Amino acid sequence: MNLIETWTSSIEVIPSNKLAVIRRRIAKGWQAVGPLVMFLGMFAVVGGLTPTFIGNGGLTIVAASAAPILLVAIGQALVLNIGSIDLSNASITLLGAILLAMTLGPLGGAAPIVVVLMVSLFGAVNGLIVAFAQVPSFALTLGTFGILQSAALVVSGATTVYVTQNADVVSPLYQGGIAGLPMTFIIGVIVAVVSWAFLRFTRAGQGMTAIGKNESGAIFSGIRTRLLKVLAYALSGFMAGLAGITIIAQAGSASPTGLGSDLLLPGIAAAIVGGTSISGGVTNPINVVFGALTVALVPIATAAIGIDAQAQNLVYGVVIIVIVALTLARSKNEIVK
Amino acid sequence: MTKNNEQAVLRLSNIDKSFGANHALKNISIQINKGEVIGLIGENGAGKSTLLKILTGIYQPDSGTIEVNGRQSKFRGPRDAAGAGIGVVHQEQSLFTNLTVAENIAMSGAGGAEVKARFGIYNWRKINKSAAETLSIIGSQLDPRTVVGDLSFVDRQMVEIARAIRVDTSKGGSPLVILDEPTSVLERGETAILEREIRKLKDFGSVIFVSHRLDEIMRNCDRIIVMRSGEVVADRATETVTEDELFKLMVGHEAHAKVKSHHDIAKNSQPAVEIRGLGRKGKFSNVSFSVHPGRLTAIVGSTGSGREELSRAIFGAEKFDEGRILIGGREVKSWQIAKAVKSGIGYVPAERKVEGMVGGFSAAENLTLTHPGKAALGPFVNPLARSKVAQGWFDTLDVRPNDIGQDLGRFSGGNQQKVVMAKWLNSPELNVLVLDHPLRGLDPGAAQTVNEQIKLACDNGAAVILLSDTLEEALEMGDEILVMRDGVVSASFDLATDNPSTLDLLERMV
Amino acid sequence: MANSQASALEPVNVDTVAIRIREKNIKTSFIARYAEPLALLGALAVLALIFSLLNPRFATIGNLQNILNQASLPLIIGVGATFVILIGSIDLSVEGVMGASGLAFVLMSANSRGGTDFGVWAFVVAIALGLVLGLISGVIYTKVKVPSFIVTLGMWYVGLGIATILFGTDTVPSLTNSELTTWGAQITQALPNVFWLAAAIVIAGALILRFTRFGRVALSIGNNEDIARANGLKVSNNKILVFVFAGGLSAIAGVIATMQLGMASATVGAGNLFLTIPAVVIGGTSLGGGKGGVFGTAIGVILLTTLNNGLILSGVSPNFQSAVSGAILVLAIVATAWSQRDRLRISK
Repeated sequence: MNLIETWTSSIEVIPSNKLAVIRRRIAKGWQAVGPLVMFLGMFAVVGGLTPTFIGNGGLTIVAASAAPILLVAIGQALVLNIGSIDLSNASITLLGAILLAMTLGPLGGAAPIVVVLMVSLFGAVNGLIVAFAQVPSFALTLGTFGILQSAALVVSGATTVYVTQNADVVSPLYQGGIAGLPMTFIIGVIVAVVSWAFLRFTRAGQGMTAIGKNESGAIFSGIRTRLLKVLAYALSGFMAGLAGITIIAQAGSASPTGLGSDLLLPGIAAAIVGGTSISGGVTNPINVVFGALTVALVPIATAAIGIDAQAQNLVYGVVIIVIVALTLARSKNEIVK
Repeated sequence: MTKNNEQAVLRLSNIDKSFGANHALKNISIQINKGEVIGLIGENGAGKSTLLKILTGIYQPDSGTIEVNGRQSKFRGPRDAAGAGIGVVHQEQSLFTNLTVAENIAMSGAGGAEVKARFGIYNWRKINKSAAETLSIIGSQLDPRTVVGDLSFVDRQMVEIARAIRVDTSKGGSPLVILDEPTSVLERGETAILEREIRKLKDFGSVIFVSHRLDEIMRNCDRIIVMRSGEVVADRATETVTEDELFKLMVGHEAHAKVKSHHDIAKNSQPAVEIRGLGRKGKFSNVSFSVHPGRLTAIVGSTGSGREELSRAIFGAEKFDEGRILIGGREVKSWQIAKAVKSGIGYVPAERKVEGMVGGFSAAENLTLTHPGKAALGPFVNPLARSKVAQGWFDTLDVRPNDIGQDLGRFSGGNQQKVVMAKWLNSPELNVLVLDHPLRGLDPGAAQTVNEQIKLACDNGAAVILLSDTLEEALEMGDEILVMRDGVVSASFDLATDNPSTLDLLERMV
Repeated sequence: MANSQASALEPVNVDTVAIRIREKNIKTSFIARYAEPLALLGALAVLALIFSLLNPRFATIGNLQNILNQASLPLIIGVGATFVILIGSIDLSVEGVMGASGLAFVLMSANSRGGTDFGVWAFVVAIALGLVLGLISGVIYTKVKVPSFIVTLGMWYVGLGIATILFGTDTVPSLTNSELTTWGAQITQALPNVFWLAAAIVIAGALILRFTRFGRVALSIGNNEDIARANGLKVSNNKILVFVFAGGLSAIAGVIATMQLGMASATVGAGNLFLTIPAVVIGGTSLGGGKGGVFGTAIGVILLTTLNNGLILSGVSPNFQSAVSGAILVLAIVATAWSQRDRLRISK
């Protein structure tokens, strides 16, 4: 409600307007299933236009492409949930992938664990600065994005880094799968479900959502907001690290300009298409799965349908806007930034 | 008493307004004359808000007429109302804190908030000059070039009043200024400034003064209009009514007999909280007192007394530079909110919406946020148990509407406060409860319920520190009273032995 | 305007602030208001000093002109970005709009693919394209209520897409009119032409912000949109206009960049977004809106451009450039926020 509605002192005690209640229920329902419906709808449209798409394992391709986006998006969703943003998570993914490529040889099976832990620490540093220096997260993570991007360039020597040995530590993740969906994607789904449960059934998760809805209220309720902020960013780093693993699993190499170097904007788009609110306090990681599938579907679909390669960017941009317009939960007089 | 029609600034005749099945205003007829200060009182839900929205053009009446300065008017929107000479000072601040006083004032008056600018270009000299003129009319010394963000609350109130009077009086009328709960966030010293303003406004216009504080209404208003259930139940000159009569008219029944629940200090018991020499540079210094379980210490003081900062420091919301806080006899170092909460301290803040609760979370989620009790198992939350806990409190406190899953932000103020209190009372180990203006913005009925909850907390063994809105409240509820002035404790009274009057307290406050 | 959507429950979403208790954080002195820009200028001076010591070539007229040349495009874009950020939004579409207008410009000028040279009209059409793209962004943002982050993200791709489609599959269209390609770098009165243009735009932007209703309403929206609306200000129109304004400026930058490049490229704007936004932030404009200004952004741009220039001259590998910019950004915001730290302060 805007200021006009709220400036007066006394509040009307008027029985609920039935229409308003129904409208609210519909909005909530759409919030829950919207992303899934959107994805299925799009998929059906593509399938209709190009029947061979489904037959030739279209879903598998989309899922494989969606896996790294999904992981990055879940991490982003957790950060968006506390009302902040993480612009550096994609560069964490890239750095993680490069480091993994370099360490798989010497460290073997320990490499993924070491790398993921390390990049979680990078995420935690983001969180520490945001929480304790109380700086705006957009600007901070923009800065750390630059730093990490340089790190990726320097460590890789600005060229592709190939996995030399022990590629089989991670490649089964990509080659194996369930019901045609690659393991990398399944891992993403599992992470999504665990994140959903975390937000709903743990005090830490509830605390994070409280921070996103009203940080002052959360502070005054005794919630350890700074700790939770660090945790959210550490988790974002952690998921980014997992995304890095999926990239190595798929490509066997990491490059500052190759696969996985461009996950930032799709990751954010996937989180938002999946119903996450930019201002915080609203997210459902399970829906982010469908958000990621949708975002991954667009370029693949445009190619499959046969739309000119020249027009792909255009289609991508339009589709993103349209989808978010349809799925984003917003109340009538909410201020949209 | 017949009123001289020529003097009438505003006349509402047979105003009726319904929202669906809700008949919000029933046949309202009111007249306001020039130079009058009219008090408008009524419980939440009585229809005051709807009436004011009609006066300011936000709603249109279903039937009935509005006459301004003798002319029938129809307000299609706020601009029309402003154009008719009606200005309003809202309860919430409506100024832009990044702009200057002059610019804020310029954004008012007839024709809405567009600053008059030729070809859209601002003439700053003119704007500043015009603002200075308006400010001098209300006797304010503010420099119009000050950025609003740098002003204190009461200075901003002055700017709001300046804006409100810049309504269009070119059609020969006089302005009608509506003050909506202007004092609910002001301290005693500041209300004096506001009351001086109101007297000034009488010289060239009329005022509608909306408030829950009956003593202020009686002090400032010539006439009082009482609303209840959408009707005007009384329209009396101030000298013909008493506060008790007003209460009865508003609520429809007698005020509950005030029962002081008084707890003696149990022998050899330890204070629940002990403050020793607490100080914070520039705010308060050398404050020492202790509160035993079951007892209530009220802290009174006016602006600058430091009592708010003290209460927040006790909760860990603000820091202190010197002194110690002992909980249950043990000193706690590195005091901060998380620690305070763990030590069994609860805090009901004055800014309920921003600090007291998490809007957007359901009532059940809010209630179990701090001390989930049975609703949580270690780090895990059990939604079913949570519902049970919340429902229990809803039934005990008669929260309306009885829907624990509803967004707490959508409840009325009184019901929100009940849930906020339940949040702290839900902890079996609540040692200390600090309340900062807990009755602010609540109508007398809801206020009574909250007071009962506070007394219950005492009965259950909590030590309560109360920053009350009024001295009467302090005298009624407290076992001890601390008076603060300019950051130090200027007096303390034990109500079992002393018997201070409000005057005694006032003298030590200013 | 009668609103009958009433409910039994109290509506929410009011910007109340516990003002009195937090007054202590409000800086009131005149000096404090100018402290930030002065600190920035000081940092700039220090940087300039360090770099000139590291490499004598830094402190030459030629290099100065170089720096100003490099700063010109971000300066132009920065003015638009400042306005967008002042109303609390963000415009990610800058590079896309640059590409689209650049392409339109080339195709309507004398170029290697033939076609007609529309002369001045090439400029007009290119800039109009930018205005239209901005308009679309603004309308979707305000009417459909899609967050600006997403709308402008989409428009970035749309702009790139338009550029790519216009580019087609033929040979690369390059500008054949050498007057156009050399205009930017030409020195007039000791400074490059393109910088004079940028300076004029910066000054115009500052004047617009200070003296026009458009600018003042934008500032009030950034401070508190609820109050702006309640006061009857035309919030949606103003927001749309801000995006149109930014789109037009991006288009101008796109045209200039294309002129400098000498040929069409959909990615002619690459890298500008991540230079401009940090510059705006470093320059003191708050991402939440309502605070900041054009001159601050200008200083920020020049600071970062000088930094990049100095680093190259000092022999630092280009790989490190984004790290240095990033680190400066982090340091700048931490330094600004450090003194305001408070256990109750909310920063998102």
